Amino acid sequence: MYKIRLEHFEGPLDLLLFFIKRDEINIYDIPISKITKEFLEYVNYIRMLDLETAGEFILMASTLMHIKVRMLLPREIDEKGEEIDPRADLVRALLEYKRYKEVSEELSFLESNQRKISFRGNFSADPIEHPNEYGILLKNITVYDIAKAFRKVIEGIKPEPVHQIRKINITIEEQINFIIGKIEEYTNLHFLTLVHGMKEKIRVVITFIAILELVKMQRIGLRESSNFNDFVIYKLDNGKHL
Amino acid sequence: MENIYKNIIEALIFSSDEPLTNAEIIKAIKGIDGEDAEITAEDISSAIDLLNQEFESSGRAVKIIKIAGGYLFATREEFAKYIGYLSSEKTKRRLSQAALETLAIIAYKQPITKPELESIRGVNSDYILATLLDKKLITISGRAETIGRPLLYTTTEEFLKYFGLNSLSDLPKPREIEEIMQDEDFIEQKNKIMMNAVEETLENETENEENPDETE
Repeated sequence: MYKIRLEHFEGPLDLLLFFIKRDEINIYDIPISKITKEFLEYVNYIRMLDLETAGEFILMASTLMHIKVRMLLPREIDEKGEEIDPRADLVRALLEYKRYKEVSEELSFLESNQRKISFRGNFSADPIEHPNEYGILLKNITVYDIAKAFRKVIEGIKPEPVHQIRKINITIEEQINFIIGKIEEYTNLHFLTLVHGMKEKIRVVITFIAILELVKMQRIGLRESSNFNDFVIYKLDNGKHL
Repeated sequence: MENIYKNIIEALIFSSDEPLTNAEIIKAIKGIDGEDAEITAEDISSAIDLLNQEFESSGRAVKIIKIAGGYLFATREEFAKYIGYLSSEKTKRRLSQAALETLAIIAYKQPITKPELESIRGVNSDYILATLLDKKLITISGRAETIGRPLLYTTTEEFLKYFGLNSLSDLPKPREIEEIMQDEDFIEQKNKIMMNAVEETLENETENEENPDETE
C-alpha cells in the first residue's frame, strides 16, 4: 500500500503531475497505460478514506482509460489532415494547471514575506475575546430582573387551542321523518320543545331545514307562539288544516 | 530641492489605516492650501523616498510602503516576532496550497466563474471559494452572461495587501507553456516537492509491479 499523505495532492491533475515528475516522463508522450495503472492503485487507496475526494480521482481515472482505449484505435484526423493525439486535451489541462501551481508557489513566498510586516490598525483586526466592560453589556439590571422577565414570558405562553372536529351523521331526510313522527303524536308542537335536548348545533340547523322543507311540501304549517322566540308546528294534510 | 509637503504627507499616511492614494493626499493638500498648491504624484513619490531614507538612516522601526494602490506605514520585518507575540491576527494559519492555487487562478483569469476555475484545478472548489470569500481575499463581482448566469469571482484590495502587491500588474508572471516544457527544472523539481521516504516507497512499489511491455 502507498504511504502517501493525501494533502500532498490537490486533485487528480496534481497527482498526475507528480507521476510525470517522478518518472521524468515527457509530458507530450505520456505512457497512458502505465500512468492509468498507477493512478487506479492510488484511487483504490483513497476510496477507502474519502469518497467525495475519490469521486474526482475516479473521474480522471475514467478519462485516462478512455484515452487508453483511443490510443489503441486508428488515430482520428483533424481538418488539416494531421493525426489527433488522444492525449492532447489532457496535456493541455496538465500544463495549464502547472502554470498556476507555479504561481501559487510564488504567492506562498510573497505571503511569508508579507506576514513579517504589520500595518497601522493591525491590532484592531484582532477579535476581542473577553469583553470586560459589564457596564455596557448589563446596564442597571440584575440576574433577578432577567429571571423575573423570563418567568413572566414562560408562564404567559398559552397552550395552543386544539379543535377537534367530530362528524355527525345526520341528514335532512332523517329529521323530516323525526318531525313527522313527533307531529303525529302531538299535533301541535313548539319548536323549542322539538329541538330540546339536541346537543349539537348542526342537528338543530338540519332540523330547522327539515321544517322548512316540510312547509314547502305542505305537510306542516307554522304559526306564531305565545312565547317569544318560538313558533308552533302543526300538522297539515295535503295543505289543509285538520 | 526640499520637499515642502514632506511632513504633511508623513502625517497623512500615518493617520490612515487603509492604503492612502496619491489622489487623497493631493485632495487634502489642495483642500487646505488652495487649488494652486503645487503638488503632483511625482512630488509625493520623492517625498516618500526622502522619508524612507530618513527612517533608515536614523534606525527607525517603520517605513512607508506602496501597497494596494496607496501608501501605508509598515513595521520592519525584524520586529515581526515581537508584534506577533501580542497580535493574534498575524499568527493565524497561512493559506493552504489549495487556497493559494485557487487564488493564483482567480488572480490571472479574473473575472472567472466557478466551473472555469474547477476545470483548471480538476477538483470541486466550493469550500475553498467560501473560505477565500470569508477572508475577503476574493469577492463576487457579478454574473456571467452565459447559461445559468454563474457568479463571477475577482480578487480584492485585501488580496493585494495580503501579498504585499501594489497592483495586479505586480503579480509574478506565469510562465508560458513552451517555457515550462523547455525547463530542466520541470523534471528535477520532484526532489524538492516530495519527501524522500514517500518517494522511495512509491518507487519500490512500482518497480515490483512494472511491466515494461505495457508502456506505449
